[in-house]
Amino acid sequence: MPLRLCESARSMATVTLDGVGKDHGKAQILGSLSFEIADGELLVLVGPSGCGKSTLLRCIAGLDELSRGRILVDGRDVTQAAPRDRDLAMVFQNYALYPHLTVRENLAFGLKMRKMPAAEIAQRVNDVALLLGLETLLERTPQKLSGGQCQRVAIGRALVRTPKAFLFDEPLSNLDAALRTQMRVELKRLHQRLGATMIYVTHDQVEAMTLADRIAVLRQGVLQQLGTPTELYERPNNLFVARFLGTPEINVVDGKELMQKQFMATLPDRAVKVGIRPESIHFVADGKPARVDLLEQLGWESLVHLDCDGVRLVARVSANAPTVGATVGFKIDDRALHYFDRDEKRL
Amino acid sequence: MTLGLVLHLVVWHAYHGAEESAFEHATLAFETANPGVSVELVAVPFGAYSYKLEAAIPHGNGPDLFVGKSNGLQEWIDRGLIDAIDAEVDPSQFVSGTLPPLIHHQRLYGVPLAFKSVALFYRRDRITKPPRTTDELVAIAEREHAADRCGLAYEAASLSYHAAWLHGFGGRILDDNNQPALDSAEAARSIEFVRMLANRHLIAEEATGQLVTDLFNRGECAMAISGPWFLSDIEADVRFGVASLPIVSSTGKPAAPLSEIEALMLPARSKTHAAALNFALFLSGKDAARLRALEGRQTVATAATWQLDEIKNDPVLTAFYDQFKLAVPMSQSRALQASWEPGQRALRRVLRGDVDAKRALAGAQAEIVATLRPAPPPAAKLPFAISLFALGLALLWWRQRAQPEVAFRSQPVAYVYLAPAAVAMGVLVFVPFVVGAAMSLFDYDGVHATFVGWGNFGNILRARDTSLFSPLSFYFALLVTALWTVANVALHVAIGVALALLLRSPLLRLRGVYRALLIVPWAVPNYITALIWKGLFHKQFGAINALLKVCHLEPISWFAHFWTAFAANLATNVWLGFPFMMVVTLGALSRIPRELEEAAALDGASAWMRLRHIVLPLIRPALLPAVLIGAVWTFNMFNVVFLVSGGEPDGSTDILVSQAYRWAFQRGHQYGYAAAYAVLIFLLLVAQTAFGRRMSQKQAT
Ligand SMILES: Nc1ncnc2c1ncn2[C@@H]1O[C@H](COP(=O)(O)OP(=O)(O)O)[C@@H](O)[C@H]1O
Ligand SMILES: [Mg+2]
Repeated sequence: MPLRLCESARSMATVTLDGVGKDHGKAQILGSLSFEIADGELLVLVGPSGCGKSTLLRCIAGLDELSRGRILVDGRDVTQAAPRDRDLAMVFQNYALYPHLTVRENLAFGLKMRKMPAAEIAQRVNDVALLLGLETLLERTPQKLSGGQCQRVAIGRALVRTPKAFLFDEPLSNLDAALRTQMRVELKRLHQRLGATMIYVTHDQVEAMTLADRIAVLRQGVLQQLGTPTELYERPNNLFVARFLGTPEINVVDGKELMQKQFMATLPDRAVKVGIRPESIHFVADGKPARVDLLEQLGWESLVHLDCDGVRLVARVSANAPTVGATVGFKIDDRALHYFDRDEKRL
Repeated sequence: MTLGLVLHLVVWHAYHGAEESAFEHATLAFETANPGVSVELVAVPFGAYSYKLEAAIPHGNGPDLFVGKSNGLQEWIDRGLIDAIDAEVDPSQFVSGTLPPLIHHQRLYGVPLAFKSVALFYRRDRITKPPRTTDELVAIAEREHAADRCGLAYEAASLSYHAAWLHGFGGRILDDNNQPALDSAEAARSIEFVRMLANRHLIAEEATGQLVTDLFNRGECAMAISGPWFLSDIEADVRFGVASLPIVSSTGKPAAPLSEIEALMLPARSKTHAAALNFALFLSGKDAARLRALEGRQTVATAATWQLDEIKNDPVLTAFYDQFKLAVPMSQSRALQASWEPGQRALRRVLRGDVDAKRALAGAQAEIVATLRPAPPPAAKLPFAISLFALGLALLWWRQRAQPEVAFRSQPVAYVYLAPAAVAMGVLVFVPFVVGAAMSLFDYDGVHATFVGWGNFGNILRARDTSLFSPLSFYFALLVTALWTVANVALHVAIGVALALLLRSPLLRLRGVYRALLIVPWAVPNYITALIWKGLFHKQFGAINALLKVCHLEPISWFAHFWTAFAANLATNVWLGFPFMMVVTLGALSRIPRELEEAAALDGASAWMRLRHIVLPLIRPALLPAVLIGAVWTFNMFNVVFLVSGGEPDGSTDILVSQAYRWAFQRGHQYGYAAAYAVLIFLLLVAQTAFGRRMSQKQAT
């Protein structure tokens, strides 16, 4: 690990959103978002496609203008500042490498623009190339790189500049599944090594869960919940967050139906929907009987689709999967139940 | 003529107005008198007259008879376009002096209809007695000259008008052997005289025929020099008189204008000679001539007409008659035709004050000699064949180095698919190209061809006929063409790219409207645009000088100096050319992902640096081929140069193609010489394109 990058990466910063909002014409894209990304934190911004994640990131970068609110980097109000004066680096979904420049020139571009001495530029480019395994690719142009290599160069281009914070906009979504998993790990490691402030946008909840220090869930431009992955998984603020995080998706059953069919004896006041995580369904010999409808075997675990008196549930079991059509007994871990009111809020 | 069989005669002329209707009435009278013959009169525009004749007659599409002028005679005879008249013609029937210009090697080539020469017109409300000497003329002009008026208006820069002064001072255009004789001291004195008139503002500046008409009708000049054709342009309420041109005071000789004879001529190999001749004799006969004189105000060549009282008492017609007796008949020779353009150029240069009369005339003389230069000697075929063979071998060797199309050979059916296009290309491109290239090896005037081998190329490349720095030399035109191409393409790209970038700006509203408007210059046919711009640059009436005046700047005589004329051409062609580059750039810009510039913005690049380091390099690959094509178009942009500056001043703004055109069509039909120009242009363009392609390939790798 080259020392220089580590040292310079210490000059990181907090990013603060204060009532940030964005409209396109009459359509409100972002409501009014207020939260802070701490120094050295990797915050993942997650939500379904079209919820405004990219818009928010572009607003932070200064590529789009805000309609409301303020953005502060390291305590300094940058709302009116040009992108280049914010000292942020962004990695785009489609890499946005300069096609007419070699990898080396791509990496050096930002430094050159900032009039850094040539010797230092060369040094930094070499350091980053070494860090990301790009040494042998330096003289190639982007057309001659694979998707993963392009992604690395794009990340490298952000890294060399040692900006106050990094912005990633779905950087892995153009890669195939295997590469995505690998790059995800590399990114996580990179963050651990550099300890840099990062805002990472994705619509993929697995990516969000695995990478994040904290996750912010966005829905139609409104923040649903902000917290650590565990917090969000275990205590989702509302049904949307509960559904969004976790594979397979949480089972959501009507509370009244559960009572009627005697899954449980009592239901908290105002509880309308009940969420049951697939892993909180256990098979026991003396449990409630249910028919096995469908089986998804993943090798190390299986997803069992159950039909119990018309109530459909998915359970996740690690071993000894029953056969399709068999009747099994199951039981739900009471402590793992999530209750939601009429407005889908957590009780 | 047998009964029921009507013979049809087609007669071409370039008359209009009163002359035309008198001609028609005389023709009707002929048809009444000759029921077996019908005559169709075809009025051919004056500007295209001889060109149409020369194109139509060799192919048998010409008329049975046409009204031609004596001064084109020798060339038409040489090229076998007209036949002599075999009938006996009684010379006493015609005004003396009207037959000799129509006689060539003792044979008569036309039945004279009218004689034409210029004379002095004066307004009776301003002048009671026309001047008899040039001193009187100057005195009257001095008297009549005022801020908004001048004494005399005529086309001073035209050699055919100036010839009158030339003769009055004792000079001449051609010597007795029909060789150019413009560089005489007498000729210089005649030009100095006109320059004196101009310097003292006694004559109208930069006068064209139209301007002379306007000034005379409005009373803004007291005198004009013009011919009988001017009569129909004078408004009915203007009282005027016609007199002979004055005697030159310093020599005592009369200012003798050139005269020419209008005659009915017989196209070669026509089968209706007898009937056509019959018609011609009728028209030159007493009755028809009277009609033409009275109704058409023609100065007819028929002697008897001038005995009639009604003609004798017509002061205008008799004034022309008297002037004709003093006039110098125009030579039939080619040398005279070749003198007009250089002579006019010399006059204009002196009147502008660019050079003194002597030097201008020496230049004109050299130009005339160059135009009349003897053809290269006939070349032996064998040495030529050997050199051509060597060239072919070299080319073959060159081809060998190129990769053969393997796929093509293994798929013979490809040839079938290509056949229609290949045939079309062959007929439309290859055959004309080969014919043109072959023509460059001949001395060819449209009729006679002599094989001269590389002779034309030798003459061009050695710049033998003219000085290296004369606008007529190949190298001068090449330099101008190179400058023209580079300046144009640079401005096309700069303006096109700049506008495309502006159009892309997110702040711009109504973008579609602007884009459509900016493409308009491209959509309008370029010759229309060229004519409009020529008008804008006009010295007196152009909008650009009007604008300068509003800004309290001196109006500029745009076409009087090389750089201003070049700038006018350039402005026009830039106007025509930038939309193409703009459209290409817009296309290239739309293919640059927005993120690239955003990434650069985050990387710390200012707007200018983003343009320089990201946008421009990325539109470059698209622009390079456009630049190559644009360079070829501009290199050959005949329309703009020909229509806007027309080569002014002195042919210096002519580019290679417009020079080639002039050698072919304006300097005595030197088709072979012009074809050699075209071949050289082709080779230059091949070299230019090959160079450009190598550049863009280098770019790509
Ligand atoms: N320039 C624009 N004009 C109007 N609507 C836009 C514009 N850009 C984005 N949007 C809308 O804003 C919403 C959020 O877009 P985006 O931030 O790209 O979503 P995400 O990145 O979360 O998928 C989408 O509904 C999109 O249609
Ligand atoms: Mg997005």
